[in-house]
Amino acid sequence: MLEKLIAEEAITPNGFTHINNPEAEVIALSPKTLMATNRFLCEICGKGFQRDQNLQLHRRGHNLPWKLKQRTTKEVRKRVYVCPEKSCVHNHPSRALGDLTGIKKHFCRKHGEKKWKCAKCSKCYAVQSDWKAHSKTCGTREYKCDCGTIFSRRDSFITHRAFCDALAEETARVTAASHFNNVTPAAVGNVNYHFVGPPVLAGPTMAQHFSSIFKPISANRPENHLDSTRQGALSLWTSTDNNNDNNDHDNLQDMHQLDPVLYADPHQNHPPPSHYQSNWGVFGVKTTSDHEVNVSAPSLFSTQNESHQTHPTSSMSATALLQKAAQMGSTSSATTNHSSFLGSFGLKANSNITTATATLVQNENKFCGLYGANPMMNGVLGNDLENEFSSLEQLQMYPPSKRRHIQIDQEHHSGNNGGQTRDFLGVGIQPICHPRMRFDHV
Amino acid sequence: MDHHQQYFSPPPHHHDSVSANTWPSVLLMEAAHAVAEKNHHRLKHLMWLLNELSSPYGDTNQKLSAYFLQSLFTCIMDSGDRCYQILSSAADKMLSFESTRNMELKFQEVSPWTTFGHVACNGAIMEAFNGKTKLHIIDVSTTYCTQWPTFMDAIATGTDQTPHLRLTTVIAAKFCGAGVQKVMREISHRMEKFARLMGVPFKLNVLHHSGDLSELNMKRLDIQDDEALAINLNGTFRSVCSHRRDHLLSMFHGLNPNILTIVEEEADLNMGSFNGFEFLKGFQECLRWFRVYFEALDESFPTTSSQRLMLERSAGRAVMNLVACSPEESVERRETAAKWSSRLHACGFSPVRCRDEVSDDVVALLRRYREGWSTNTAETVAGIFLRWKETPVVWASAWKPI
Repeated sequence: MLEKLIAEEAITPNGFTHINNPEAEVIALSPKTLMATNRFLCEICGKGFQRDQNLQLHRRGHNLPWKLKQRTTKEVRKRVYVCPEKSCVHNHPSRALGDLTGIKKHFCRKHGEKKWKCAKCSKCYAVQSDWKAHSKTCGTREYKCDCGTIFSRRDSFITHRAFCDALAEETARVTAASHFNNVTPAAVGNVNYHFVGPPVLAGPTMAQHFSSIFKPISANRPENHLDSTRQGALSLWTSTDNNNDNNDHDNLQDMHQLDPVLYADPHQNHPPPSHYQSNWGVFGVKTTSDHEVNVSAPSLFSTQNESHQTHPTSSMSATALLQKAAQMGSTSSATTNHSSFLGSFGLKANSNITTATATLVQNENKFCGLYGANPMMNGVLGNDLENEFSSLEQLQMYPPSKRRHIQIDQEHHSGNNGGQTRDFLGVGIQPICHPRMRFDHV
Repeated sequence: MDHHQQYFSPPPHHHDSVSANTWPSVLLMEAAHAVAEKNHHRLKHLMWLLNELSSPYGDTNQKLSAYFLQSLFTCIMDSGDRCYQILSSAADKMLSFESTRNMELKFQEVSPWTTFGHVACNGAIMEAFNGKTKLHIIDVSTTYCTQWPTFMDAIATGTDQTPHLRLTTVIAAKFCGAGVQKVMREISHRMEKFARLMGVPFKLNVLHHSGDLSELNMKRLDIQDDEALAINLNGTFRSVCSHRRDHLLSMFHGLNPNILTIVEEEADLNMGSFNGFEFLKGFQECLRWFRVYFEALDESFPTTSSQRLMLERSAGRAVMNLVACSPEESVERRETAAKWSSRLHACGFSPVRCRDEVSDDVVALLRRYREGWSTNTAETVAGIFLRWKETPVVWASAWKPI
């Protein structure tokens, strides 16, 4: 059956061979056949299977004589598959993929309809396994800005980043360190993103993680560094989903080739790695996972940090970072759950409040003048008002907190009527003009 | 004293949000009645009473009472226009990049009030710009360009080749203060840097226009024929003088945009002058609306928050503007979605349906905030609503010229 399928639909052009395996048989399946779920048919009962292995397992159950148990085909040649989509690079036999499942996934991802949607963030995927993988990590990712603030939401991270003071400083440093050759400011800026994923990262996942970050800034690809920069911006911003298709295995190779020195200023010396281990501790972002990681990883992490600080003013920035971390620690303990944002502005949060209060005082004093302006109504109501006041109290109109407030003002009224600002009703108007921040009412 | 007793009978003890029965609403409506009936004696009583109970630093009731009392007083003193101008220029002097940024971003962190409109409109604009390589967005909004970083992210990552983006931000205000100009300069720098970081070819032009938005010279927008055009009006259409709104829409129609997005707050505040019956109706709606807003703020922010205070004082100025300023000078006259829609239809626009992906994005957005927020599409009018505890508060919709 399988041979029949191939005979009907395969085009094996002469003269074209797969790049890695010249002997490989190039198979071009139609989209329909590619996506067919039961390509492998049992010749005995006609049952269909998704994979050849499953078919073979099934055939064993038919208790075939020994001879027929073997594969009936000729010697098995390595098969490679091309993408049915004509405009795709993988349509060409030299770019065929060796794995049937792989070409299926590729076809779906690139040319297929995105039927699977994440419930949390409504991101869509064409391949179910991609969607599953994403759902596991969605929402668990953390985005860390240079200023030290951590976000669980990408959109708030981005909006924060655009207006963050760390951005303003960083680009100033970038232009100062302009001896980066052949690297656009955008690329350099990308380096400084700390992509802090879930704490446990091991083996190949880690490799993919890093490769997607490191890919754009590779000095090994000078020819289209701009494109890779943008792509790098892409892969930095997107999560490390498996749907970063077949670039992944390329990246793994790249990563091993990469020299950790790559991101550092070529003219700068490397501070000892232990310095950076402690840095992580101060930030408190990465906990013990440094030890769980590949041997190569700590140095890769540290180069990331390194590049953040490698330029003439690096001695100051390390201190500044430590200070910020200390601030972040102190403010986060003092503020509420929602103040991780405020924490990024460190001590400024408190000073903002006092500045706001001070200006409020100024403004309210200004407005007292408005109320005091009208001479017409001064002292008109005098006695009547005091009578009103006692009856009002009795009526218990106010919530309990008000009563206390009224009591206090009553004292003021009887005691110091002469000294107070008079309003148009002839009564002191403290409640609006008074500069006291009455948080006890809240 | 008898009629006073009768007058001051205690309102029912309601602590829920049935707003009409709360003591500020009762007292303030009584005061408004007294104003309309020119009953000075009673008015004085009420205002004295409200004065005693008010505080801009207290609970929602006390705050509402404070701002409304101040506005009512200014109204009867007939000094609304001047007072509003003083308040606005004082606020402008206090403006700084840090305080503005902190206020906007904190607000967006704790409440979807503004992010709702951003997500909905960005989704619609992205769709309209699909496949285009040169984009021009005319941005007339009150959110200091905080809508655009996520948009830039979307075009940088969602398309194979990042298109060129030109952004023209229009700040139209009766009194174009130096403070806002300074803030916008800093914002420009940040946006340009960020665009470079994102790898988006970007140009930002900030236009300051003093006067009514409908009097803006369209030539200043520098429309280019080879660019796809989007016009984004976020919270600014209400600032246009009531009888000039249709004219402005016609002018926008003339620019032939690919899409026009509009975000407005759902309230019926386009009331008449303060002598008529319309004043009472408008005043009541004003009370209702700002109560919703203050309550939403109160439940979104932590107890003591300087950012919330800034937002409340800005709302207080809006109340002043609505209650005390002449209709020609008023810049806060919100209309309902139904009214905006009929204007848009009349001016040659037809609604663009909100895509499922966009409404999913909005639902995902709301999931990240506290309880109480929801979204829905209305059967009778285009666009989608943000609702706070079942009350529609913000409306977002997209239109294209036919």
